[in-house]
Amino acid sequence: MSDFVIFAVFFAALAILNLIRVAMGPTPADRQVAGDSADILITAALILFSLYSGRAVYLDIAVIAAMLGIIDTMLVGRYLDRGRWHYDADSDHS
Amino acid sequence: MQKAKFPAIAATFVLCFGFWILLDFSFKPQELIAGAVVSLLVALFSARFFIHEKAGWFCNPLRLFSAIFYWCGTFIAELVKANVDMAKRCFGGCRNINPGIVKIPVDLKSDYGQAALANSITMTPGTITLDIAEDKDGKTWYYIHWIDVVTAEPEKAGEIIKGRLERGIRRFWE
Amino acid sequence: MLIRIIADLLLLIGAVFALAGTIGILKMPDTFSRMQASTCVSTLAILCVGLGALLYAIFTMHSASAAVKIAVIVLMIFVTNPVGSHAIAKGAYRAGFRPEKRMEVDEFRRDFDE
Repeated sequence: MSDFVIFAVFFAALAILNLIRVAMGPTPADRQVAGDSADILITAALILFSLYSGRAVYLDIAVIAAMLGIIDTMLVGRYLDRGRWHYDADSDHS
Repeated sequence: MQKAKFPAIAATFVLCFGFWILLDFSFKPQELIAGAVVSLLVALFSARFFIHEKAGWFCNPLRLFSAIFYWCGTFIAELVKANVDMAKRCFGGCRNINPGIVKIPVDLKSDYGQAALANSITMTPGTITLDIAEDKDGKTWYYIHWIDVVTAEPEKAGEIIKGRLERGIRRFWE
Repeated sequence: MLIRIIADLLLLIGAVFALAGTIGILKMPDTFSRMQASTCVSTLAILCVGLGALLYAIFTMHSASAAVKIAVIVLMIFVTNPVGSHAIAKGAYRAGFRPEKRMEVDEFRRDFDE
């Protein structure tokens, strides 16, 4: 039973290592990619910790974290793309 | 914006109701009725944004089984192979890389098929689809960032990157 | 007991791939290569962790709702992650971030002349 919590702590430590790249990344894309990766690692840690403690609350939080991880990535991607939601190859490139 | 047809509404309703059951996971009749009402409202309002082509495409069992075989067999095999390759590069000090952007031709016609192929290419580590463009002759091209450029010629690079994936997808989405 | 050993083995494989992805994110030289390395975390690592947890939830805990929720989490990450990856790669290229060195072939710049 206790190996789940060991793996959960390991994944959480990897997420904290990803935060180093969030802090020192030279471009916004680097920060967002590392933050998304940390989000997925935290989801894995939540799954394992819910199996360790036997409470279903952590699984619900993991579902919501997996669902909301996409939205900020899309938002930052479109912001870097300067708000072009519908890109047409034949229109202006400016 | 075209008008929503009945199969699109039915498919959206089934998806929303399944998601309600997954999140709720209790089978009392009042909760099932509430979920059905909410799913029906959501399906009526949002089916036209959600499904654009034929909604009953997967009701054919042959297509369904070939799709399941693709996602559980071919795709997982390619995924494991590419992941082992990427992990070797990462543990080897991140120095033996040769990145570049190549352009490959794609023969799939349907929108969903093109989207599925682009997502499959992005999911395998080592390749990311940057853009999909169509030239004057109606031929579709993908722009792909590849971490180890072996060849820059479009057909050969396409065969290396997406050969098995495209043959797998063509069985159920032409 | 066999189920526990298989689940632990899957978790170990997932941890190894997550470590590989994290090392890649920390040490790769340019932006796009870091994106490639982060794909390693979000595909095989989460797949192995989900499979191990699914085996444990089905055969040891006998809990249907936990198994279904874990399956939904893995499926949702698999469906939504390539869309975000694609969006942020294209946005980063269009915002003017270029790879630093050894850009072998650059067809994108030639066709869209940016």
